[in-house]
Amino acid sequence: MFDIHRVGSLELTSHRPVLIMTLICMVWGPSSMVFAADSSVDFQKNVQPLLETYCYECHSGDEPNGDLDLTKFASVADVTRDFQSWESVIEQLQHGSMPPADERQPSERERQSAIQWHQDFINSIEVRPAQFKPRRLSVIEYRNSLQSVFGFSLDVAIIEAEQTVTERSLVVKLLPTDPPGKSGFKNDTHANPLSTVVWDQYNFLIDAAVEQLFSSSRRIELEAMIGPFNLDQFSTAQAKSLLNELVERAWRRPVPNEQMDKIHSRIQGRQGQALVDVVKLEIKTALMSPQFIYRGLLLTGTPGERQPVDEYELAERLSYFVWGDIPDEHLRTLAAAGTLSDQKNLSAELQRLLASPKAHYLTEVFATEWLSLSEIEHITDDVPRMVALQTQSADFMNYLFTEDRPLIEFIDSEVAFINPHTSNMYGRDARQMSKYSRRKGIEREIVSNQKISLVDTKERGGILTMPGILAMNKGPILRGTWMLESILGEELPDPPANVGQVPPNRGGENLSFRQRFGEHRKNPTCGICHNKIDPLGFALQRFDNQGKYIKQTNSSDDTIDTSGQLPSGEIFNNFEELKLILTTSQREAVIRNIVERTMAFALCRQLTIIDRPAVEEITNELKQSNGTWQDLFLAVVNSVPFRETILPELN
Amino acid sequence: MNNRIPRRTFLRGAGVLLPLPFLNLMAAKGRTKNTETPPPVKRFLTLFKPNGVHPPSWNISGGNEHDFRMSPLMGPFKQHRDDVLLLDNMGDFGFSSHANSTRRFLSGHHSNTKSASIDQLIADQVRGDTLHRSLELTTEGLFPNQIGCSYISYDQHGAPIPRESDPQLIFDRLFRNPLANPQQRTELASVLDRVQEDARSLSRKAGREDRETLEEYMAVVRETEKRLANMRRAKPSIDVAAFTRPGVAANLDEQVESTLDMIELALWTDSTRCITYMLGNSNSRMIFDFLGITEQHHYLSHFFRNFSRTNLESLLKISEWHMKKFDSLLTRLKSRKVGEGCLLDDTVVLYGSGMGHSDNHTVTRIPIVLAGGKNVLKTGRYVRYSENQELGRLHLSLLEMFGINVESFARSKTPLPGLNGSDFTPYREQPFDSWVKVEGDQLTVRGRIRMSDDLDEARIFLIEVDGEKPVRVEVNFRDFHNFNLAYHCGSAVTLKGTGKIEGDKKIITRVTDIQSLFGKKPGTQNG
Repeated sequence: MFDIHRVGSLELTSHRPVLIMTLICMVWGPSSMVFAADSSVDFQKNVQPLLETYCYECHSGDEPNGDLDLTKFASVADVTRDFQSWESVIEQLQHGSMPPADERQPSERERQSAIQWHQDFINSIEVRPAQFKPRRLSVIEYRNSLQSVFGFSLDVAIIEAEQTVTERSLVVKLLPTDPPGKSGFKNDTHANPLSTVVWDQYNFLIDAAVEQLFSSSRRIELEAMIGPFNLDQFSTAQAKSLLNELVERAWRRPVPNEQMDKIHSRIQGRQGQALVDVVKLEIKTALMSPQFIYRGLLLTGTPGERQPVDEYELAERLSYFVWGDIPDEHLRTLAAAGTLSDQKNLSAELQRLLASPKAHYLTEVFATEWLSLSEIEHITDDVPRMVALQTQSADFMNYLFTEDRPLIEFIDSEVAFINPHTSNMYGRDARQMSKYSRRKGIEREIVSNQKISLVDTKERGGILTMPGILAMNKGPILRGTWMLESILGEELPDPPANVGQVPPNRGGENLSFRQRFGEHRKNPTCGICHNKIDPLGFALQRFDNQGKYIKQTNSSDDTIDTSGQLPSGEIFNNFEELKLILTTSQREAVIRNIVERTMAFALCRQLTIIDRPAVEEITNELKQSNGTWQDLFLAVVNSVPFRETILPELN
Repeated sequence: MNNRIPRRTFLRGAGVLLPLPFLNLMAAKGRTKNTETPPPVKRFLTLFKPNGVHPPSWNISGGNEHDFRMSPLMGPFKQHRDDVLLLDNMGDFGFSSHANSTRRFLSGHHSNTKSASIDQLIADQVRGDTLHRSLELTTEGLFPNQIGCSYISYDQHGAPIPRESDPQLIFDRLFRNPLANPQQRTELASVLDRVQEDARSLSRKAGREDRETLEEYMAVVRETEKRLANMRRAKPSIDVAAFTRPGVAANLDEQVESTLDMIELALWTDSTRCITYMLGNSNSRMIFDFLGITEQHHYLSHFFRNFSRTNLESLLKISEWHMKKFDSLLTRLKSRKVGEGCLLDDTVVLYGSGMGHSDNHTVTRIPIVLAGGKNVLKTGRYVRYSENQELGRLHLSLLEMFGINVESFARSKTPLPGLNGSDFTPYREQPFDSWVKVEGDQLTVRGRIRMSDDLDEARIFLIEVDGEKPVRVEVNFRDFHNFNLAYHCGSAVTLKGTGKIEGDKKIITRVTDIQSLFGKKPGTQNG
């Protein structure tokens, strides 16, 4: 959301020290909410009547305008239940974009009163963790976990050659693609249930992994777990130690003795091939069990109470956040000793995980899904160039994440990652690249990136003007929408279905797209969204559809207009100025969006009202201290929603 | 003939031995209960070779139907001479893109984009009650820049059919469907029992959210148990539990041999009757490192533009390897006894490439070899058509062999004569006179044009003239391309040009005109 600069004399900021109001001990459940007596009276007295008087006429009934039925906000409990929706309502009120200019307007006092209630309400929220719910592993988590459990990856045999695309992972090839969850990320699998189709594929994969483990091609991996392997001399002791190791890895914590005893009793009295067969069956069982497939089923603690998650769960949350993988031995050792939750250890472990190559998961999944980087695949069929455009953005994000870079470098940076397929966009800076020569007999090939400093092409710094990003979003409207959603964190509804095309130039006219578009969306209702989208998108008009920069000339033929004004009031003439605004007056919005995305990804669920104080606190801290991405990750890992949980009651 | 296979007979390939089960198929004589005449041919197998050939190494020059010498590149499969039918002058396009020439390989014409390829039509016809309608296989990934290079099989809507590359996955698809396999079903039942126990015990200790999740899990487990029960009640199929899964291949050669193992097993167990296998994308960029080669196949295939002796030898090594795989395939099919004969007898094998001269992408004299099908093909011959033949005619003939009678396919309306030994006299080349006329530096020559056999002379063409040394045509790439000399290779032409005479050698250095005696004009058939 944008900061408000110009609303009366009240200086409103969207964060304040938490707990400004006296807090009465609250029992949180979705339907019972006890607040300080003041605020609930306030809502019924000041806010709901405003809605009824000025908003219900259009926003009620069977087909409310904008699909928004405001009669559903009849009480504070309703607001809490659908807080995200509520926030956008208040925002419209704050910006004065609702009610529409040609309708009856609330008085300034009425408006302020409602906004004040909202601010107080936010500030009164106490952070708490969410009620715990088990969650199925996502496809990528499953792939990585399987690899770490067995010590090898399940790959498809296919010959790779330059300019061809292949999916090597058998897991990714066979499992149905995860849809994004409510959080926007695919690791939010709450609404992605197990089905018989998925079950069959799991069965096949586990079968393949177990067979491979005992085949001669994986002898090294097997012997790493049980010492020298000889079929005739395969002993019950070896079998037990193999099972202990595999099951503990798979279930992410030491297995209760009674369970292990049951498994051991089933393998007793066999030798050689018969023993191998029954061991295989036990491994398959352990990996088809819910304890592997779902996260969190073995959580320990006091039912019905809020508490820190146990050490193993903490290890698991950390490793799945940074690596999308099971905790490794070092994490498990700290968890076993009960010392992972110590601040010093937790911080050190986070750093260790970020320094590992496995941290590329953050780029592969988090950054790619957040910024829709897979759209770059559709820009061109020329594989080396497509990969160059994709890895450019990916390498940049990986650099930010793992080299402790400032958060805001995301928007404006002095480094870039280029190779011969992208170097033509970088002017003289491309000379920093070391000389590239293709081997004889190779026509075109994928090349890795080199880091360069931006001196001559400073406009390329940061994510917004990377050629891949510019090319994947064609035109100012898509670009503006992407920036608004991915960078500033605003959710936009779908455009109305009954809007026609932007008309072309009629005979004799020579209007730019911008001019024609302005005509097309001059209806104030369009402005609700387009006042936010258009300035951002049109600021990038100097970058063509390929992402090439069109230098400004003084000739009268150069009619490109990149000026604009944000709804919050800032004015800019060109993209460089907009970039400056994003790093200064809009800095907080940018940072808040980053924090929200990161938290949603780390928690594997949609953020709700109870996470809000944590988001605000972290945003504020990072803004004041010019924090880095590592600071951000540590803050998220230390936050209440991450460290704690509420275990469900037993009935 | 004793066709009881000893129990421990093995399949060789990828260093992994696959014991053969004792199958009902292999039961002794007296098994055939039905007295119906079996169909003349039962199976269709296609093997596709990428990137064309170096014509002089592939083409048979001269020779006739029964008296011919197999070319150097045919050497690896010469032991199968009696079982193959070598076709010459197939393909009637001047130049063609990789994508279009590949589309034509099983679809007749590249404009035939709304119909199934012939393998799919045949699959529908012959599938009977086999478990798998067809298999589409390959070695290489997708080439997104020209997607047509990656497919030869197309479904009834003209959409490309995805290919499988992993021999282990092929094995699993054929022989490890858990529900079709009794041993697998038993194992799965044990797993289901245990995980249910796990889930129930967790559920007892769980809160509401946990229990919801576990309920979802248990519902799936119960559903799987139901499916198992259904399968148990069904008719038992072949017990393929004794088959051992192939190991991981170390290189392309092992992977192909492993895949050929799978093809052999699949046909022999009658799991499927229609298979297509691409040894690479049409414009394959693979590097044959196991042959000691470091350049991409496609680069080497453009041997005129990227000429060097080493490049050409590398290209020939690769082509030779392709031929060896064809030989391997035929050997396997002949080693499988079926009734009184072998698997090859009632299988038609189509082997070839979409292109002829790989540099110019000329689609004439494309390598096309048919094998097997003893009731529908007359093998052991070299059939050469004087005029370029549309591939669609061959496809019509193939469809006919499998009992599919259509009026036309792609743009072809009549089948190709001569395949089953029938008369094809009108298509034979008629005798012609060859001569050369010299007027100053203008030379006109009539005769059969071919490429030099000398690998160092890969850019040189020769025109055979009776009673004389061949006239040499030594031109640059521009003339080679503009007059499409490669198109005419192997057929009779009248060529005009300027040149010189050195002793008894007549050399043309610039071409001004070329006309086919029998074929169509080059370059007008761009595709």
